[in-house]
Amino acid sequence: MHINREACIGCETCLAWCPVQAIHMRGDRADIDRDLCTECGNCAREGVVQCPVDCFSVDKLQWPRTVRRFFSDPMATHEETGIPGRGTEESKTNDVTGRIGRGEVGLALEMGRPHVAARGRDIDIMTRALASRGVRFEQDNPLTYLMVDRKRGALDPQLMDVRVISAIIEFVIPRKRLAEVLRLILQKADEIDTVFSLDLAVRFNEDGCLPRLAQLQEFDLQPYPNAKINLGLGRPLAKE
Amino acid sequence: MTHSLHRRGSRESLKGDYVFLSTPAVGVNHEGCRPKMQRILEIVYQAGPTNIGSYDTGTVLTGVTYEDIRAELDDTGRIRCVFSDLKKVRAVLRRLKSEELGISIVISGLVDEVLQAAAEEGLCPHTANLSLGIHGATEKLPGETILRFMTMCGHGMVSAGIVEQLMDEVKEGKRKPKAAAELMARPCVCGIFNQERAADLLSEIAGL
Repeated sequence: MHINREACIGCETCLAWCPVQAIHMRGDRADIDRDLCTECGNCAREGVVQCPVDCFSVDKLQWPRTVRRFFSDPMATHEETGIPGRGTEESKTNDVTGRIGRGEVGLALEMGRPHVAARGRDIDIMTRALASRGVRFEQDNPLTYLMVDRKRGALDPQLMDVRVISAIIEFVIPRKRLAEVLRLILQKADEIDTVFSLDLAVRFNEDGCLPRLAQLQEFDLQPYPNAKINLGLGRPLAKE
Repeated sequence: MTHSLHRRGSRESLKGDYVFLSTPAVGVNHEGCRPKMQRILEIVYQAGPTNIGSYDTGTVLTGVTYEDIRAELDDTGRIRCVFSDLKKVRAVLRRLKSEELGISIVISGLVDEVLQAAAEEGLCPHTANLSLGIHGATEKLPGETILRFMTMCGHGMVSAGIVEQLMDEVKEGKRKPKAAAELMARPCVCGIFNQERAADLLSEIAGL
């Protein structure tokens, strides 16, 4: 993001709005810390911050800085996948795609969310660890496109310092491997300098009930009382 | 697998907060689906969502209109909004079931409430996406009170700073809860931030 500091009147209106605390006062005018900025576009978006002198604008970015925008600005669409947002359709269209079948679970780690943001190096720690256990990352997830070696889960080395609001590590595994993979994820959680929101997608049983996931208890993982429910209205329905 | 999933708060405060998502499956049923998406948008809008927006336009709370959102919908467009009233959600589901538009529909909310509503409307839920919490360097997180507001924007665009500032302004009587909540909701371009729930939380925090 760019700020026209000459136009800034130092009103400080913008400071609180930045989701990654990248805007600060330098002297009597606001400035953007480019290392902290994730290029999310919030400060320049019409009707949001409402800078009285419109001094924020969107920069023309070059690789690897473009990655910040694709993983931070919800109004940006990934060039490779054509899909807006940071993840995929995942469970939202599972009734049609059948991506997650019975006997499987989908797992996703939204690195950096909430509030903290994530650097490439933290994401790389987790993807390499998961890859070492044979996890295959979701093909259409934009993060997968940033790996120079998908089998090893290695991100492009140029991305280690890149900071994004969040990036989603997404994959499907057989349900019988859930405990092993969760154990690894929670071990690696101690090695990273950010947070992640963890979620699990699962098919309903034929009787309409949710499967019992006893493995979660081993890790004191209690699902929130709220969840996303795909209501099965998509057509054609995915074949079993 | 996230977006509307990780909303935090007590069971009581999560009542009256139902995110609606409609998404074509790219490569399966997206081609030529624009009229269906427009029809779904029409059904949803007529039911009276609390907030609505889109990746392409931004939200009604920043001056975008229903017509703007409709005009920008294409074959890979998505419909996102939030309701505060489960009866409205049920009315939408009833209509969608009867019209058989064939586009995937997700409701995010309290599991027991959503499943009961689905059962009463004769729907067979297909997949559940469950939140298993926040992990890692959790010492970097703001307090739980602030997270309740922030997590209503699935893209993380609502900052801790603006939540804190608006909470203070409400406590000091400088701003009404409703006005503060509508301001807070602006960065959430998809329109799934529930400003009515936020106003209730602000009132509770300010002891109003």
